[in-house]
This record gives sequence, C-alpha cells and structure tokens, in this order.
Amino acid sequence: MSFKLSVLIIEDEKNISSFICTTLTNQGYKVLKAATGKEGLSLLTSQCPDILLLDLGLPDMDGIVLLKEVRTWSELPILVISARIQENEKVQALDMGADDYITKPFGTKELLARIRTAIRHSKRLNFDPKFVQKPYHALDLTIDFEKRKVLLKEKEIHLTAVEFKLVSLLAQQSGRVLTYDYIITQIWGPYADKNNRILRVNMANIRRKLEANPAEPVYIFTEIGIGYRMIEDELS
Amino acid sequence: MTKFISYCSSPFFRNVFVTLFMLFAATASSFFFFHSVDSIQNISILYILSTVLTARFTVGYLPGIVVSLAGVMSVNYLFTYPYNQINFTLSGYPVTFFGMLLISLITSASTSHMKKQGELLSKQEKILMEVEKEKVRANLLRAVSHDLRTPLTSMLGASSTYLENEPFLSDSEKRMFVFQIYEDCNWLLNMVENLLTITRISGETAKVTKNLELVEEVISEAFFRLKKRIPDANISVKVPEEPILVPMDALLIEQVILNLLENAISHSHSSKAIECVVRKDTSFMYCDIIDYGSGIPENQLDTIFDGCSHGQNESSDAKKGFGIGLSICKTIITAHQGTITARNHKEGAIFTFQLPMEDIDDEF
Repeated sequence: MSFKLSVLIIEDEKNISSFICTTLTNQGYKVLKAATGKEGLSLLTSQCPDILLLDLGLPDMDGIVLLKEVRTWSELPILVISARIQENEKVQALDMGADDYITKPFGTKELLARIRTAIRHSKRLNFDPKFVQKPYHALDLTIDFEKRKVLLKEKEIHLTAVEFKLVSLLAQQSGRVLTYDYIITQIWGPYADKNNRILRVNMANIRRKLEANPAEPVYIFTEIGIGYRMIEDELS
Repeated sequence: MTKFISYCSSPFFRNVFVTLFMLFAATASSFFFFHSVDSIQNISILYILSTVLTARFTVGYLPGIVVSLAGVMSVNYLFTYPYNQINFTLSGYPVTFFGMLLISLITSASTSHMKKQGELLSKQEKILMEVEKEKVRANLLRAVSHDLRTPLTSMLGASSTYLENEPFLSDSEKRMFVFQIYEDCNWLLNMVENLLTITRISGETAKVTKNLELVEEVISEAFFRLKKRIPDANISVKVPEEPILVPMDALLIEQVILNLLENAISHSHSSKAIECVVRKDTSFMYCDIIDYGSGIPENQLDTIFDGCSHGQNESSDAKKGFGIGLSICKTIITAHQGTITARNHKEGAIFTFQLPMEDIDDEF
C-alpha cells in the first residue's frame, strides 16, 4: 500500500475509541482521535481524513448537528455509531447524509466491514459515474438495469413496474441502508403518503419472488424501524 | 369552544344542569298529570323521584336538598289549593311537608354515601393493582441482580487472575481467561438488551407505540441476531404465503421471538430443528415456537412466565437467566394486548403468543 487511508474517530468514551484505534491501526489505517465535536471539526478541516466515525452522543454538541454541518461542505463517507434502541436517531442520521450506521456494541469484524463498504461506495461515486448502468450481481441474482431484467439462477423473474423500481433502487446502492422515507420519496414522489404499508406489501411480494424463504432472506434485509439494505454487489 | 366544553364538564356546571333539568322534568310531568289525570298523589312521588335521581347524578348533598325544597314549594304553590300561593295552613299539610323534606334529605344523603363508598372501593382496587405491579417489578429486579452477579463474578475473577499472575500464565491459559470474559460479556449484553427493551414500555400506562410491521421481517431480524450469537442454531421458519401486517413495536416483538428461540435452544436439550410457525385468523396473529426436546416440567408450567421459576430447591446458578427472558416476553406481549402461553406436546414444548391484528385502542 503506497499510502494509508486515514480514519477520524469522534468519540468521547476513551475505552471505546482506544480499542477502535488499536484495531484500525493493526489493519493498516492511519487513525486520528477526537473526544469532542469541536476538536473533531478542526481535525476534519486540517487533516482531511478519508472516513469519519462519529458517535452521536458527544459532550459538547449533538452529533446530528455536527453531521449536518460537515455535509454542507464535504462528501466524505460518514459512519455513525449509535445505540440499538434509538431507531429515530439512526433514521435521522441517515436522512441527514450519514452513509451507514453501526450499532453499539459492535465487534471489530463488523466495524472493519462497514468501513470498507463505506470507502468503496465513496470511491465509486467519485470515479465511476457510469457505475449505475452496469448490471448488479450477487449470489444467484443478476439485475440488468438497461434491459430491465431480473435473473435468478439464470431464470427471468417477473416483477411489476413498482417492484422493479424498488429492487433497482436498492441494488444501485447495495450494501447501504435506505430509510423508508427515502425509498417512498424516490419511488412514489415527495407528496406520497408516508404511511409505509404500501412499501411493506411490495417488499413482501418481492421477497416471495426472490427469496427461497421470505423469513430467512439472503438478498434484501430489513433494518427494523429504519429501512432496507440489499446485499453488496459482487462486481464492485 | 374547548374552554366552553371543559367548563361544561366541570362538576359545578354538571350539578347545576342536573338540578335544573330534574326540577323542570318533574314540574312538567306534574302539570301533565295534574291537568290530564287530575291525580295529586302522584305529584309528590314525582318530586321525590327527581330528588333521588338528582342525588344520584350529582356531587355533594346540596343539589338533592335544593331539589327537595323546591319540590315541596312547588307542590304547595302550584298543585295544592289555593293555587299560586304559598299556604301552610291547610290541615295536615305540615306533616306532608316535613315528610317529603325528610324523605328527600335521607335519600339524597344515602345515595351520596353510596357513591362515596363506590369511589373508595375503586380507589382500593387501584392500590391493590399498584401493589401487584410493584411485586412483579421487585421479583424481576431480584432475579436480574441475581443473574447479573454470576457472570460479573466470573469476569472479575478471570481478569484479576490474569492481571495478578500474568508472568506465570501460559499463552493458552491467557487466551482461555480472555475468552471467558468475552463469553460472559456477551451474555451480560444479551441480558441488558432484554432489560432495555422493557424501558420502551411506558411505565404509567403500560402501553407501547405501535407501527404496522411485516411479521416475517421481524422474525428474520430476530433470526439473524440469534445466528450472530449461536451460529449453529437449527431453526426452520414457516410463514404464510400472504404477507401479514400487524401493529406492534417491532423491536420488542423481535426480542420476544429471540428470547423464545434462545430459550428453546438452551433448554430443550435436543439437536432437532426448532420450528417457528406463523398463522392467523381474522382477529389474531399467532406465532408458535415448537421444540422437540425434554418439554417443560409440569410443576413449572403455571409459573414459567413469572420471572422466578428457578424453583426454590434447585440450584439456580445452573441455568443462567431462565426466568427473566420469559417474564420479559410476558410483559411485552401483555403490553400489546396479546397473550402468551406455554404447553407441552408429545415430543417437547410449544410456546405460543398471539397479537391482535387490529389496534384495539385505535391509537395510531
């Protein structure tokens, strides 16, 4: 590796940030630590890290506020660290432009995987604007966006127009959580009813067509109370 | 407008309204009797009746007394000769007057008294319910602190042994200690998450915020979390072809399913697959968790959801947290206006919970 990717951790709990720091350093990342939002912002502007790990509960400012501010001038991938119970907080962070979230407590493996995904996504957006036109492929599933075809084990699956739109939307941002509100706005427009019943029913129907057992999905996962996440594209 | 309505519902307004209405009703029907049937005896009865009713539907003694006095006056003024004047000089009339007044006062006093006693009874009932709730809470707390102590002791022991004897320990021993701490941490985490879910149920009303959720999504999420903790868990899930949307707090129900599955794995002592079956009828959705193991001991069937089903004589350390998971399930399902039951079948145990398909309280 010619240069090290740098990670900025904004986290006030010393024990947590030190264990993340040790893990990431061992994996070949350059790690910067900040214990407060202010310190984090100044490090962000002076060091320009490649990815930001942000704890939402900071002593000096609300993590959401910091997130909002950073998004006004930077597109760097942001991974939010949050507790499990607070779905609202996660949804808010995602809608404010966070790339992904990780739930406390998390294992090091999960953290590393999320960091890799987030970095890959940001690169794809920056350097490969035509990416969305490439077919999506994962396990036995292939989606050809241009021909509007969905193939499962080489056999074509018939989806309704809305179902195809939904699957494409998830596939084009595979590996990322898309919130209910985001999906509804993208598919049904900004004035659609925010009651997500229609989305749920469509998703249940898609699962019945794509998954061998809808209760043990392998392609489209539910993040309860937040949204949906599609399995990462293998071609990227 | 709202101010007006709140004013109307105040006890004072209610009293005045009921009193006036009763007097009016009694006087109106008295006129009817007086002019059509010409029976004067009924009129006193009508006024007494209105007094009783007033006392029943108002607060305090005053309205009853007012109605009785007004009744006596109007009988005298309107319906007794000479009409349209107050006259107490008729022979025997003072007896009627005092009799009627006395009857009115006594009935008004006794109905007020009855109402007070009713209030007292319902208050006592409330206190009893509070006590019951407090009991459940105390039981839970006791069970939890007991269950927390075991892994904490083990972690403390392992880490202090490591720190104090580090130079003398072999690598494999060190690894063993750290692994032990790791395992206990995972167990503790599970427990704490269980307890945290309960805090989502608001204490005062014991209600949860419900959203329409797809049952299969909740089950699959619980299943994934279980797989993280027990990678070789053997579970088969069956959901109906038609998607089922049920109003619930998904995180809580996920915890219930997770607890039931985990319970089935650790207590069935069997490697046979655990079945999770979802079915529905018009008003309820049912979820069965079926294991093929040793079943539930008969003497524990009744108390299994109480949170202290360790049994007094058995060693409670042997099975960590047996009861807490289930009592949390019961708390969660009850807060959803559902029911949860445990029973044995031929080859093992079945836990079933049911949730209403429609929100009973209609609070979306």
